[in-house]
Amino acid sequence: MTDTELDLRLPNDLAELDALSSRIEAFMEAAGIPPTPAYRLQLAVDEFFNNAVDYGYPDGRAGEIAIEVRRVGDQLHLVFSDDGDPFDPFAAPAPDLDGALDERRVGGLGVHLVRTLCDSFAYAREKDRNVKRLTFALAG
Amino acid sequence: MIHIDRIVAGTIVVTAVKGRLDSSSSPKLEEFLAGAPSEGTILLDFAELTYISSAGLRVVLKATKLVRSAGGTLAVCGLIPQVHEVFDVSGFSSLIPIHPSREAALATMT
Repeated sequence: MTDTELDLRLPNDLAELDALSSRIEAFMEAAGIPPTPAYRLQLAVDEFFNNAVDYGYPDGRAGEIAIEVRRVGDQLHLVFSDDGDPFDPFAAPAPDLDGALDERRVGGLGVHLVRTLCDSFAYAREKDRNVKRLTFALAG
Repeated sequence: MIHIDRIVAGTIVVTAVKGRLDSSSSPKLEEFLAGAPSEGTILLDFAELTYISSAGLRVVLKATKLVRSAGGTLAVCGLIPQVHEVFDVSGFSSLIPIHPSREAALATMT
């Protein structure tokens, strides 16, 4: 029986990031997820976690970030939620990827990577939480 | 989570990065590269880099700007497919030369 579900609840603290990455990596191995979708999901969690901690709690309050990963048929499902200030990352403008090196802005790059590398993404504000739902095809 | 080595190969300074480049480890590479001479030819060997996020990409972009403003060149080599995909999607592949291996890079850059 392989693992098919992972549920994590973490404080909004960047010190959690290393342990979080290790937990997800271990889950991907145990669930037999191929390297490309495993990497893409890991990247999504990493970018969202950093953004939530850096910008979601400007008053410095303690918060809770929840990460659910499920293998459903030939897809990986990710639900990432936090109780930070309302923010829809997918409504933000895409970064300027065509400019010359000197003009290159890299703000929003993380979200751009995530939305490009997943198969579907959605944002909702539910019960005072930012909830992002993403899917990744296992055959990447 | 990362290990960084500097090797001088003739006129090229090779910086080999092993492990993960995310928001917690990328400041170490940034610091390492800031302490390196920025003129000349710099090769970032990522053959043992298993992961890069936007935080890691920012450090690579910053180093590239620094080296170019000093009249030097910077290239990367040895990207695993998943890291290569991140370089492609971010548009970095059109800005920074990517070589398949250190050997190929050194042969081209010398």
